[in-house]
Amino acid sequence: MKPYYKFTYDKWIVAATAFLVLTGLVAIYSSTSVISPDLVERYQKRGIAVSQFDFVKKQIFTVFIGIIAMLVAYRIKLQYLKKMAIPLLLISLVCLLLVFTSLGISGGGARRWIKVWPSTFQPSELVKLSMVIFLAWYMSTSNYQKDRFLHFAIPITIMVIFQVILIKQPDFGAVINLAILTLSMLFISGVKLRYIFSLGLVGIPIIAKLALEPYRLERIIAFLDPWKDPQGSGYQLVQSFIAFGSGGMTGVGLGEGKQKLSFLPEVHTDFIFAMIGEELGFVGASVVVFLFFILFIRGLLIAKRSGDSFSYYLAYGISLMIAVQALINFAVVTGMVPTKGLPLPFISYGGSALIVNMTAIGLLLNISRNAQVLSEVWTEVRNNNLEDGSNIVVGKGYGYRRYGKLKIRR
Amino acid sequence: MKKRAAILSIVIAFGFFAVAFRLVDIMLLSHERFSAKAKNQQTVEETIPAKRGIIFDRKGRELAINVKTESVFIDPRMVTSSERVAFALSDALGIKSDRILSSMDTNRRFVWVERKLPLEQTRSIRELNISGIGIVSESKRFYPKGPLASHIIGFVNIDKKGLEGIERRYDKYLTAMGENANVFRDARGNILSEGFMREIRGNNLFLTIDEGLQYILEKNLDEAIVHWQAASATAIMMNPHTGEILAMANRPTFNPNDPQASKASDRRNRAITDGYEPGSTFKIIAGVAALEEGIVKPDTKFDCTAGFIEVSGKKIRDARRHTHKVLTFTEAIQKSSNVGIVKIAQSLGIDKMYEYINRFGFGQRTGIDLVGEIAGMVRPPERWSGVSIGFISIGYEILVTPLQILRAYSAIANGGFLVRPHVVSEIHSPNGEILYRAAPEAQRIISENTARVFREVLKTVTEEEGTALKAAVDGNQVAGKTGTAQLVDPETNRHSNERHVSSFVGFVPVEEPKIAMIVVIHEPKGESYGGRVAGPVFRKIASESLSYMNVPREDYRERGLLLVRD
Repeated sequence: MKPYYKFTYDKWIVAATAFLVLTGLVAIYSSTSVISPDLVERYQKRGIAVSQFDFVKKQIFTVFIGIIAMLVAYRIKLQYLKKMAIPLLLISLVCLLLVFTSLGISGGGARRWIKVWPSTFQPSELVKLSMVIFLAWYMSTSNYQKDRFLHFAIPITIMVIFQVILIKQPDFGAVINLAILTLSMLFISGVKLRYIFSLGLVGIPIIAKLALEPYRLERIIAFLDPWKDPQGSGYQLVQSFIAFGSGGMTGVGLGEGKQKLSFLPEVHTDFIFAMIGEELGFVGASVVVFLFFILFIRGLLIAKRSGDSFSYYLAYGISLMIAVQALINFAVVTGMVPTKGLPLPFISYGGSALIVNMTAIGLLLNISRNAQVLSEVWTEVRNNNLEDGSNIVVGKGYGYRRYGKLKIRR
Repeated sequence: MKKRAAILSIVIAFGFFAVAFRLVDIMLLSHERFSAKAKNQQTVEETIPAKRGIIFDRKGRELAINVKTESVFIDPRMVTSSERVAFALSDALGIKSDRILSSMDTNRRFVWVERKLPLEQTRSIRELNISGIGIVSESKRFYPKGPLASHIIGFVNIDKKGLEGIERRYDKYLTAMGENANVFRDARGNILSEGFMREIRGNNLFLTIDEGLQYILEKNLDEAIVHWQAASATAIMMNPHTGEILAMANRPTFNPNDPQASKASDRRNRAITDGYEPGSTFKIIAGVAALEEGIVKPDTKFDCTAGFIEVSGKKIRDARRHTHKVLTFTEAIQKSSNVGIVKIAQSLGIDKMYEYINRFGFGQRTGIDLVGEIAGMVRPPERWSGVSIGFISIGYEILVTPLQILRAYSAIANGGFLVRPHVVSEIHSPNGEILYRAAPEAQRIISENTARVFREVLKTVTEEEGTALKAAVDGNQVAGKTGTAQLVDPETNRHSNERHVSSFVGFVPVEEPKIAMIVVIHEPKGESYGGRVAGPVFRKIASESLSYMNVPREDYRERGLLLVRD
């Protein structure tokens, strides 16, 4: 006798994601409705005509694609996803290499995009999700031995391969992001700490060398004292501070922000959070931070309540992926870490990241629906003499209550 | 391995709290500081364009307006190639490039090149888009009617400060103080539109002047000065009841759009700034005084057969033979007999004579709201010589302005009141509120009856046997008086026989005076009698003005004419 059940998806996750996406649309419209002439020029070079509504229209279109991707990820069987782990990684690799072919598009001194009709795609976003899925599968296979160096070295090698390609683009932010993500997942799987530390010893000189590239060094110095050169290297940070600071408690009002008028660089992408701070104030900015916090906490609960280790690692990994990227963006725009171009998930303008992140949320919801709480179900069935077709509630007292209909297969 | 997951979760959660604290620090604790910095970089102080008030005539026709012009300046610190700047500007504006080059050799950040240019001229400079050359828009005062009424309106300097006339007298009302306002800008320095143009406007003035009457007056004055080859001329037309100046002009004149092109003497409003010996037009003072005091009646007779009278050993002669007989009071005025008037003055006495000169406002400013008015000169009786009463009574030994004479005649026209002449009737705020409205100021100086009787006396001047037959207007009766005064020759310091001031002053129609007017012509050639020089000018102006004002002929009933009022 085996009870069969199907629970509903996690509504908190849906609500938080929806709220973040809508905030993003509003923020994108606010920041791009006043289009600076050089932005028009920059996008025209990439063959995109720009008007007041172009950015937000395109982003709304992307949101619809994202919803489709999310539904697909929500419906997909997790067993099938396991089989897809390696192919996905290979697809990511190919996409990442395509950047260097004639399909690749460069912008701002970096080659990060490939042409996909009718728009562009940034493979580095896909790489992160593929890596999380791969690691979740890899660490949940029965022959994975956390203490074996080889089983540590394989994912690290894959990570380094991706990182080498990413550094060629260059996309230093994605390199760091990938490293944090991979090492965090290996860390929770229980690998020996000395592996991680020794990797750190090897990695530090490499990172140091990369960090000492003149323009990155300049950013680091600017981060330490942005006021030393507020018109030069410290400009971005100073403008970000002014945006946040002038926002105060309730902000200058939606659409009333003045920092987006060419004062803040990359206001619709990397520094969109600063504009939200300016226009909606501490209240608005805190709400955004809190929504990401909710996503993270709910993701952890989903991971905790999931029955199998693949679901566990996947849910944990996705939660980490979104939380880490959001935190890095927050830290950059508030001057807590050196400036590094990373968009804010769900909010920043940009299709690839939004689609990938919404796919990840779809997977998270998928896991939440299938969260296996066998022992609880059995206890419930036994204690209440439940029969086939009766309602069942599990997760009481865990902050993770699920409702469903009991089906017992004999 | 749940422990490691928990540790990592706590680290991440800590990250969120760190962000929250950081936000408190930047957004709440440093709010003031960053707000100040934001305001500092997002706003720029800009001068709001100010527009000087508009001057209208009594019917709302524009006499002084503002036109949009642009001024070119150089910011020497922004100049990358001074040769290029100099070449471009000298090419576009026709200025010597040396001058531009030397003007750039300064530490100042702002050097005017050329101000208030028409927009077509600055467009080419703007298109060149050379760094260091700036263009700002400035409004410029423009007088659409050119020299018309230039002495009344005056003009302004390049900074729009009133220098003469109404522009100067009412400068503080017309001036719009340019204010500075903080406007938003973007990082490139572009000013953000606020959706409306900020603008400060000065108050608008409505004059008592009628552009049509002013034109009639000036046209005839121009003709007269050419015809008589005169040195200068003045004419003033006034509403005798209220003191409203309807028209006022002088020759020579100037163009207020280019005042620098004229001599300073051309810009003088001679009607109020220049005194002259009025001659016979002054004779009414003694006449009116004698009537008012009851010393004479219109038919009182004076023996003038000698043709001269001796006053303190000096002979005062009559100019023409036909007055060498016994004249009535009316005839003495009508024929302008010197002997008759001196006799009247003698019977009046020094003190009464002086009192009436003062009553009629001579030796005092009329208080007209224009700049540069003089009081004239009337010596007190203690400084009179024995012959003074004689000379003063016939208009010598005193200095008056044309406006003072006109005001004296207006008192007879309006029934005995001394009015205050004025040219501004209303001041309107930019929104159209009335800030000021001129109220007629009148002071009784002679009785109603004296004025009425004297009007009849003056009427005879333009009738048969009068001195100013040529001043008579067809259809309306003119009351007035001629004046022919000898000018003092500056070389000999004596009255010259060649140089005269010819004048005619009067009002029309006699029974219901609509206009009082004086015409003064200095140094006409070939002819000097006021009746023949100034009289015809008066007649032409008066007759054209009356039809312009739709004043019906007094004799329309006798002639069986149909009066059509609109």
